[in-house]
Amino acid sequence: MTAVGGAAGEAPAAPCRLDQAGRPPLRRAAGLLRSGETHAWRWGARVAVLLPLAGLLFAVVVLAVKAYPAVRVNGGTFFTGSGFKIGSTYAVTTHTAGVAHPKGSFYGAWPLIAGTLQTSVIAVAVALPVSIGCAFALTERLPAFISRPLGFAIELLAGVPSVVLGLWGVLTFGPWLARTLYPFLADHLPNVPVLDFFKGTVGHGEGLLTGGLVLSLMIVPIITATTADLFRQVPVLPKEGGEALGMTDVEVAHKITLRWVRSGIIGATALGLGRALGETMAIVLTVGAIFRLAPNAYSPMSTIAAAIATQLDSALTDGTGFAVASYAELALVLAVISVLVNLLARWIVRRTSHLGAPVGRAA
Amino acid sequence: MATEPPVAGAASGAAPGLSGGKHVATGTPSPAAGIPRVDPVLDALDPDRGRPANVVETHGLTLRFLDKTILSSIDMGFERGTITALIGPTGSGKSTFLRTLNRMNDKVTGFRYEGSVTLEGRSIWAPGTDLLELRRRVGMLFQRPNPFPMSIRDNVVAGVRAHRIAKGRQLDVVAEQRLREVGLWDAVQDRLNDSPFRLSGGQQQLLCLARALAVGPDVLLLDEPTSSLDPISTEYVEALLAQLAPALTLIVVTHNLAQARRVSHRTMFFYDGRLVEHGPTDQVFEHPRDPQTERYVTGRIG
Repeated sequence: MTAVGGAAGEAPAAPCRLDQAGRPPLRRAAGLLRSGETHAWRWGARVAVLLPLAGLLFAVVVLAVKAYPAVRVNGGTFFTGSGFKIGSTYAVTTHTAGVAHPKGSFYGAWPLIAGTLQTSVIAVAVALPVSIGCAFALTERLPAFISRPLGFAIELLAGVPSVVLGLWGVLTFGPWLARTLYPFLADHLPNVPVLDFFKGTVGHGEGLLTGGLVLSLMIVPIITATTADLFRQVPVLPKEGGEALGMTDVEVAHKITLRWVRSGIIGATALGLGRALGETMAIVLTVGAIFRLAPNAYSPMSTIAAAIATQLDSALTDGTGFAVASYAELALVLAVISVLVNLLARWIVRRTSHLGAPVGRAA
Repeated sequence: MATEPPVAGAASGAAPGLSGGKHVATGTPSPAAGIPRVDPVLDALDPDRGRPANVVETHGLTLRFLDKTILSSIDMGFERGTITALIGPTGSGKSTFLRTLNRMNDKVTGFRYEGSVTLEGRSIWAPGTDLLELRRRVGMLFQRPNPFPMSIRDNVVAGVRAHRIAKGRQLDVVAEQRLREVGLWDAVQDRLNDSPFRLSGGQQQLLCLARALAVGPDVLLLDEPTSSLDPISTEYVEALLAQLAPALTLIVVTHNLAQARRVSHRTMFFYDGRLVEHGPTDQVFEHPRDPQTERYVTGRIG
């Protein structure tokens, strides 16, 4: 109380002491406060913008350092060889190029690399047409009272945890496919290159195609949402121009709407492909996670991500750390594949966008 | 301004000579070369002889969106080979009227019509009418250029392809013909495979005109075709329209009264959902019968 009184008593003593700029003290304090706030925002933004980059750099550098011994020893056979063998962890440690590793260890990741590409390609090949159809129906055909709940449901699908989808895939979806779709495909597809991959025994629904289809279900919402956004940005005037010229609505959709957003769809596909390449849990559960190159589309196999998730445990038993280094190399390969896919998508976008209009541009 | 290729095209087209000769050879009318259509022999050979004078007619046409009446009982005929200007303030219903003629309003929710529109004596809504063929015969040019996301050449022949009018190498011939017809050939012949979006606004609109002409329409609807163009491109497009008129029936919505006066033979004045007055353009502008028309054309309402 006395302190307050004292302050109150002092206040009139210097009622209007101005600072050098001629502002009363309160304003100066406010100015200091504001400049402090500005600084906080600026630095906050700087840190925020650098953090993801730093995180990425850190992860890649750590991975590279970890993988370095394995890269030196495994060499090119890592990409061409087939089979992961830890070697004898009880025998004498051998040294190759100065790197310690158990006797008889061998790392050839070709089946995993191929498997990753196979599941992802199947996923995208199925998801892309479905997603474009979905997005088109949502934005151009269906009335709002249907398309809104439907769009919401598709977005919900993106939120389903991959372990749930994986479990459903292995327990329900896969066996059902093995009873219905797979025998049909195996019997009716012609015996020509690429398609003959779908001939042969169909198994029980745990394998490459099941994994690819479950993956496609996971990336449909991603591609659909992005593509629907793109379709909404196509201006109405070119579409009307097509109609007024006597084009059918299918021609308008295909030649104008779809072409207008072509490069954007490639970007959306890359987004989905990135997700498919790295997806782990759903794959682990649905493809059988067996280390081998699938002889046909229905065979159990494995991917890079699935192999890392399921095998890291046993890799840790290698006292020399060489197995862990090899899995780090595997992870590095996956990262590089993802980056390459994105670069490829960018390149395609640049090559195809020269005819299209910039999205969102009024025309 | 000087770099605007349509201008260059206009200038070179104005000199009858090298380009004009080519047009005659290919049977393509040049915008500025002029096509004399008063020759009695040609007249006798005119395929339009004996056909009704009015290409498009409306009979008691009333247009509604939901319960709102946009236009009520329009009776109007559009004579073959004439340019008709539709004028009137925003919201007077002239654009709706225009878009009804090629049935662009059909898919609009709540659109209803009474009365009829006939094309060469046949109702455009008659059962069994081929909508795509109707739109081939009744072309449209929009307020702003609307090129398709494909190459310049593919833009010109987009409709030709859709209607299977020509194919293969014929398409190149069609593209060149039509681009020459609108005076765009010299400007784009080296970049036929480039994007149309890098052309200037005026050039894009000419490209759209070439595209509309390529399918061989009888009637061309123009919805404020020059409202987004600069004055020089506008002048060029107007000159083109004047050249097209004898072979085509043009119906032009415009907010530009001077333009209506310059290019049209007949003028229709819409106000508040009614066709207030229509007649020869000179009469509508010089001696309007209706006081509302007089107030509009003299700039006192609008």
